[in-house]
Amino acid sequence: MSIFIDRTTRVCVQGITGSEGSFWTEHMKNLGTNVVCGVTPGKEGQTIQGVPVYHSIKNALKHHAIDATMLFVPPKLNKDAVFEALDAGIKKIVTIADGIPLHDMMIIRTRALDEHAFVVGGNTSGVISPHEAMMGSFPHWIERVYKKGSIGVMTRSGSLTNEVTAMIVKSGYGVSSLIGVGGDPVPGARFAEFLPLFEADPQTKAVVIIGELGGTMEEEVADMILKHKFTKPLVAFLGGRTAPKGQKMGHAGAIITGGKGSVQHKIEVLEHAGAKVADRPSRVGILLEQLGVSKDE
Amino acid sequence: MKLYEFQAKSVFQEFGIVTPKSKLVSKDQIDVSLDDIGYPCVIKAQVLSGGRGKRGLIALVKDEKSAGSEMKRIFDAEPSMKYVLIEEAISISQEIYISITVDAPSGQAVILASESGGVEIETLAVEHPEKIIKEHIDLRYGLLPHQARHMAYQMHLSTQTTKEMIQIIIKLYDIFIKYDAELVEINPLFLTKSDQLVAGDGKIMIDDNSLFRQTRFAQTEADYSSEAAYEASLEGIPFIQFDGDIGLMCAGAGLTTTVYDLIHYEGGTVANYLEFGGPNYKKAVKAMEICLKVPSKVILIVTFGTIARADVMAQGIVDAIEKLNPDRPIVTCIRGTNEIEAVNILKSAGLTPLFDTEEAVKMACKLAKGGKL
Repeated sequence: MSIFIDRTTRVCVQGITGSEGSFWTEHMKNLGTNVVCGVTPGKEGQTIQGVPVYHSIKNALKHHAIDATMLFVPPKLNKDAVFEALDAGIKKIVTIADGIPLHDMMIIRTRALDEHAFVVGGNTSGVISPHEAMMGSFPHWIERVYKKGSIGVMTRSGSLTNEVTAMIVKSGYGVSSLIGVGGDPVPGARFAEFLPLFEADPQTKAVVIIGELGGTMEEEVADMILKHKFTKPLVAFLGGRTAPKGQKMGHAGAIITGGKGSVQHKIEVLEHAGAKVADRPSRVGILLEQLGVSKDE
Repeated sequence: MKLYEFQAKSVFQEFGIVTPKSKLVSKDQIDVSLDDIGYPCVIKAQVLSGGRGKRGLIALVKDEKSAGSEMKRIFDAEPSMKYVLIEEAISISQEIYISITVDAPSGQAVILASESGGVEIETLAVEHPEKIIKEHIDLRYGLLPHQARHMAYQMHLSTQTTKEMIQIIIKLYDIFIKYDAELVEINPLFLTKSDQLVAGDGKIMIDDNSLFRQTRFAQTEADYSSEAAYEASLEGIPFIQFDGDIGLMCAGAGLTTTVYDLIHYEGGTVANYLEFGGPNYKKAVKAMEICLKVPSKVILIVTFGTIARADVMAQGIVDAIEKLNPDRPIVTCIRGTNEIEAVNILKSAGLTPLFDTEEAVKMACKLAKGGKL
């Protein structure tokens, strides 16, 4: 089993005719993802990687059932494309675009919350369950990174995820599902919202979160553990311990987070909740072992 | 992108928020007459970093002579600074805090206000959170007048000042929207002895992802700290210069901050960070050219790319070395899509590619301390 997507999930690809859309649709299909249709305005009637293309999601829905949609859409056009999916009632949306305007993301986030939809991203590689299915742009064929196993992974980063996941695999574990919530200040979906899915997933024995300085997503994870809403072992790797202090965002940033957001604070609250925190990627596997998580091989 | 105080205040003025009578003075104008502002007046360094008061970058002066000497002192303290802002001194009866920023968990904007503003506002927020008034704004509907009224009524101001406060809240929200802001802040907002609200300071941060539609305050070469920083910005390459030994060409903010941590664990220091990933992965020659303009002892390249293919990056590095003939050692740790091909490309060019980040960091630190490859 996996969370968010599996081989039965019927996936639409928005922006399928672009070079990225077409390239990654092929890889998504190669992994086993059930890509049923694509959408690019003005391109209805074409076929990309064997997938029929429609002008709009509403047109596609006349011919297909859609459970989830994957966006390869430029940042400026994201709000419109996400809204098109939400308007069609789709509740699982992944958008990889890097550079979505902040106010657009705020409106997307607010609407996703109202409608109980998951909008994963932007600025992410997406979601993958190795050897099962993916929505996004992962080099799933690199076995030393994307090996199937029992560790759920959530991340705010792209290349760092490959780095940490390679270390998880090197330690004898594999990955159940990996959710990239993305590196933007306002992601469409947050770490804590996926914990109940990992909690319920029998394949997932433990979760690794790859966080960084800023924001409060890691603090929200600690809170879920303290409230016993997530009870499996959890290891965090946090980058930015020695980062030079950035220029401060006026006083408002500090007032609104009440002193949260620093790596030090995140370490304190996570450890207080019973999670382990790694100071370097190679420590993640060791800490999983210390928490008694049995290896996958 | 952060705006200078004088830029933020020009925006405030356009929206009808009162600011003190002022004059912008550049380095070569420090003998200019300030009679139109009058004495006493305040000299304020126009720098983007905070804590100006504590760093001696704000001075209250009583006459022309001290104005000249204080301006000189402040310009000397900040050699790259272009302007000081001279403002009339204002007799105040109260300092108020007001800002609009982003509440990431809800995706809403949040307006924060307090009747006790000033430099200790963060302490107040921790010790007396109840003294901070908050109002969340759903961007889909915008700020509703009742929200602005509700905030202002909690601030214990006179009837007339409350009306002014409501207008200021509405105007700040309009600025937040018009400029795609991450933050709009007035701290302090003066309540003058004649019961007027005047913006004592001003901060506006514009979202970098929105700069394509926010071109008014576009930066010029003079706004950058170095030639390398300016060239990187022209190429759209994120770049930060420090003063250490190791030049970093890394892909992705997360991996970069991790490599930065690992270098410090090993006792090394960082000369610069250059973003070699994302859309920049085909720009190896330009990226290395910029890195070579920064004094450093070794260049460390760490990537783990997906769309940014390892073989393309490796070939770019080989081309860059051939073209630029770098005067310092290069350590590579290039992984991800097509990583085997990448290793072969680097090897056949006579390089010794590493495959483990911690090992590469150790090697770079050793070389920076004068070790050999």
